Amino acid sequence: MKRYNKFICTGLFLLFQLTLYGQNVIDLRLNELLITNTEDFQDDFGVHSSWFEVFNIGYGTVDIGGCYLSNDPEDLKKYTIPRGDVLTKIKPRQHILFWADNKPYRGSFHVNFTLEDSRVLILTSSDGRTVLDMVALPTDMEPNQSYGRVVDGEGSSGPYADNSGWAILSRTSPGTNNFSLDGKSRSEMMKETDPFGLLMAMLAMSVVFLALIILTFVFKGTGRIALNRSQKKADAYHKTQKVSLAETSGETFAAIAMGLHMYANENEIHDIETTILTIEQVRRNYSPWNAKFHSLRKMPEIRKK
Amino acid sequence: MDQIINNLQQFWEYTGFANITFQHILMICIGLGFIAMGIFKEWEPLLLVPIGFGMIIGNIPLYPGFSVGIYEEGSVLNILYHGVKNGWYPPLIFLGIGAMTDFSSLISNPKLLLIGAAAQFGIFTAYSVALLLGFEANAAGAIGIIGGADGPTAIFLSSRLAPDLMGAIAVSAYSYMALVPVIQPPIMRLFTTKKERLIKMKSPRAVSKMEKIIFPIVGLLLTAFIVPSGLPLLGMLFFGNLLKESGVTRRLAETARGPLIDIVTILIGLTVGCSTQADKFLQMKSVLIFGLGAMSFIAATAAGVLFVKILNLFLKPGNKINPLIGNAGVSAVPDSARVSELIGLTYDRSNHLLMHAMGPNVAGVIGSAVAAGILLGFLS
Repeated sequence: MKRYNKFICTGLFLLFQLTLYGQNVIDLRLNELLITNTEDFQDDFGVHSSWFEVFNIGYGTVDIGGCYLSNDPEDLKKYTIPRGDVLTKIKPRQHILFWADNKPYRGSFHVNFTLEDSRVLILTSSDGRTVLDMVALPTDMEPNQSYGRVVDGEGSSGPYADNSGWAILSRTSPGTNNFSLDGKSRSEMMKETDPFGLLMAMLAMSVVFLALIILTFVFKGTGRIALNRSQKKADAYHKTQKVSLAETSGETFAAIAMGLHMYANENEIHDIETTILTIEQVRRNYSPWNAKFHSLRKMPEIRKK
Repeated sequence: MDQIINNLQQFWEYTGFANITFQHILMICIGLGFIAMGIFKEWEPLLLVPIGFGMIIGNIPLYPGFSVGIYEEGSVLNILYHGVKNGWYPPLIFLGIGAMTDFSSLISNPKLLLIGAAAQFGIFTAYSVALLLGFEANAAGAIGIIGGADGPTAIFLSSRLAPDLMGAIAVSAYSYMALVPVIQPPIMRLFTTKKERLIKMKSPRAVSKMEKIIFPIVGLLLTAFIVPSGLPLLGMLFFGNLLKESGVTRRLAETARGPLIDIVTILIGLTVGCSTQADKFLQMKSVLIFGLGAMSFIAATAAGVLFVKILNLFLKPGNKINPLIGNAGVSAVPDSARVSELIGLTYDRSNHLLMHAMGPNVAGVIGSAVAAGILLGFLS
């Protein structure tokens, strides 16, 4: 019985993990925070409060509604992010900003604690137990200085996150990327490095050839195995006389098969004169649409004599 | 009375006659030309007839703002066009192609796969020339794929790399696919000697069912691991083939190669045709794209034929490949293989090359999907 329990527990654990993946909340990361805000970004009420950012690293929309935020490892459910708010849906590779002003009555994005008196910030999934991400708050921060992931979403995450990938940022970037590219697209960079396309042609042709050469070798191998197997079967059948199947074409097999078929089923041989068309009666399957029985308005009765 | 005259005047302004331009007339004539080629010459009629008719629909002069035109948000044509713009249709067509393609000739003689790889050279020749002509790298990649001779792949790639050029690229790709019987034979004759054209190839061996089942699974794993960006096309192609070869999903395979591919072909052909609205389509760029497309096609055919000649240098006398199947490396299935057969028969009435040419032909489909994946990976 204990053994079965083990299996059931493992199954439930896997199911639970799958549920988390299904919700995609696993893609959420705490991304940036500002503890002391005196002259940085203002909230909708024109107040300077500490703030933090959650980033969706995935390529699908994630609804953060129902998840929890806390600054206390003993109370992971301190603030419940309301469900049903359209604004809690985070688009792919986008951010969402929360105000840590201890004024939850001001809206879904105002939590019931502040960062100034916190040591840690924790994001927990809707089950209230699974820590999605956490960050230990630094103590040596200047006012209006933000602490965040150097590259959005990258670095340690989960219940055992150790702040690797986090640093004091040179500028605050609430609701936007912490790290941005220099503006050149990959195709522009490609044109700069390879203006005549020769490098690209060589590289791409090599990859195409590589892919198809691998396929060639694999199917040569499988072909050889298939031939050997059929040869062995044939050898076992003709113990005395060996037949080389490798040198026999498919057309030969087709001709032999046709000959055998015609020999075995003499009745099915086609008419001698090829100009005669053979029409066989086709058996019609039963269908209520063509049954006269169903079109009768009155059931026929047998007259008794 | 004034009211009636005003209404009549407004009605006149809404009619096509009041809004017609020379460009509209030109595009309608091109559409009629496509229909004529499809019906009377029977060059790719399944594509040219819907595209040609779509061109006529797309170039009926419209008074803007009635949510009728293909580029007007919410119109019926616009909704159908989403499948092209977002690349839904091409993978569905690949599903059908997979379900109707017999890879036996390729499995029995795997070295024919390499011809499919060599023919992709046309793509990168056009890419280089497009860069020299001043196109951006992403646009050059989308233009180059015309040389793959694969309409769905061209649409898929251009919708991601250069959506504004998609109409011209798609029409160009399908036009050249239709013109395979005209474009390829002179190139094939140019690069081969009479002796080479008479080479008789060994009959392909019989392929077991197990080999046919293994092919799509291993094919997908190998190609998609190397080029994951080609997954939508490669995944659907091999999935369709597994439906066919497994033998237990006959109904699914029949739907994929029958009604499904027919529906998607109708939608893709019609909407691509409609997208050639004169004001968006008739530009100098479109003319350049047509020129580059032709060049790409010619280079691809020549590369396939020349590669077979090089390959023959390393093959034993009995195993030589007829270079006339080299053209089939471009993936216009099965037209380019049919061209190999017809040219082969003109030199030897008993030399049937169709089955041999189908090998590089389907390898071309795989090759062009892989090439599209590489371009997408490098340039998107």
